[in-house]
Amino acid sequence: MLWNVTQTLLTGLGSTVQIFFLTLLFALPLGLLIAFGTMTKFTPVRWLCNTLVWIVRGTPLMLQLIGFFYIPGILGYRVWPSGDTGRMMATVVAFALNYACYFSVIYRGGIQSVPVGQREAGQVLGMTKSQIFFKITLMQMIKRIVPPMSNEIITLVKDTSLARIIAVYELTFTGYSFMKSSGLVWPLFYTGVFYLLFVGILTIFFNFLERKLDYFR
Amino acid sequence: MAILDVQHIEKHFGATRVLEDISFSLEAGQVLAIIGSSGSGKTTLLRCLNFLETPDTGTISVKGEVLFDAADPETRKENEIRRKRLHFGLVFQDFNLFPQYTALENVTLARELMAKSEKTGEKVEDIRKEGAQLLAMMGLSDRMGNYPHQLSGGQKQRVAIARALAMKPDILCFDEPTSALDPELTGEVLKVIRGLADQHTTMIIVTHEMEFARDVADQVMFMDGGVVVEEGPPSEVFGNPKHPRTRQFLDKFSG
Repeated sequence: MLWNVTQTLLTGLGSTVQIFFLTLLFALPLGLLIAFGTMTKFTPVRWLCNTLVWIVRGTPLMLQLIGFFYIPGILGYRVWPSGDTGRMMATVVAFALNYACYFSVIYRGGIQSVPVGQREAGQVLGMTKSQIFFKITLMQMIKRIVPPMSNEIITLVKDTSLARIIAVYELTFTGYSFMKSSGLVWPLFYTGVFYLLFVGILTIFFNFLERKLDYFR
Repeated sequence: MAILDVQHIEKHFGATRVLEDISFSLEAGQVLAIIGSSGSGKTTLLRCLNFLETPDTGTISVKGEVLFDAADPETRKENEIRRKRLHFGLVFQDFNLFPQYTALENVTLARELMAKSEKTGEKVEDIRKEGAQLLAMMGLSDRMGNYPHQLSGGQKQRVAIARALAMKPDILCFDEPTSALDPELTGEVLKVIRGLADQHTTMIIVTHEMEFARDVADQVMFMDGGVVVEEGPPSEVFGNPKHPRTRQFLDKFSG
């Protein structure tokens, strides 16, 4: 029995891991774009990005999920392919946008915490704006944002369970389904072990990263 | 002919006028020391020369070429400025070394990036070799692989000087290079600057080290309230100050 449940939960974990990595894949760079958008001198873009961040942070992720999945259909557009693929796509889009907005604020904090003198030193040495960002600012920013980013990324692991609201067969949903099909309660709690392991691995990774970046101050 | 010619520079921060009609010139191989109390505009002037601030009026010319003319928007373009500012090097008061790079990497980074992006054909090994030579000249041969946080203030500032020299500027500017240093570390940095003066490096030094300025400078400029109050050879400005404000300022140092 335990083995059967474990096997089923592992397929759910597969979806969870998929949501997790796909979200990061898109949200990490998108967040940087939004961060630049909120810092630009060009007012319309700044205004747009700030509004986006406000809306995304101001409404529940669950609501955004439902919105992304159902609203196109309600309006008569077929955006998502049918079946599990469509559900997964809607989930990743909603998660990526949501997390990108949160990341953007962390990025902005990181960029702004790098002293102006660093940028000026690059300027007087004749570096271009992009050289200054990629060769000077970025590394110092990364070092500073590892702790808050690890918080956010660990939250993402557990937020993936929200995807069951649009019937994505992720870990929590699989655990829950045993209650309905066979009246078993413990598989739901058993899912906690998987989350703990997942987050444990991430924690080790972030500690490693922090130590890796310890070579400079 | 003068290597640097500055005419009628004026700069406002909002309604406050921080520089008022500054004009001066500098001969190649000479050292100009700018003295004056805090808030007199010395640093702002230096930042204008390095295009970190944009003057509201005036022109800046190097070797007869007008690098900046406030009246000509063409000279204010980002890309133009990036190229032109390489006529100047700047050593900051608080070093501003890049913490994630070693001493040697700090010195060579900009040159390596330039070689790559502008295809100057310079070889990375040559740039590094030259960087190592500069650090050796600063007495830092054994510190090349160290990160900034492993260096003392004086060592950091010497790396910063090497970093500025690596770009081969026509005019090297110092913004209070010893103000962030403990007194016992000041000497090693001043010695290096003195060495550069002996090799006839054209320099502009904003400093509070009066004795050093008197020693090393060929020209001294005293600024107060955003204007040049007095300018001349050190023997004149220090030995026989004409303006009462200069006298008042210098009296504070002779204690």
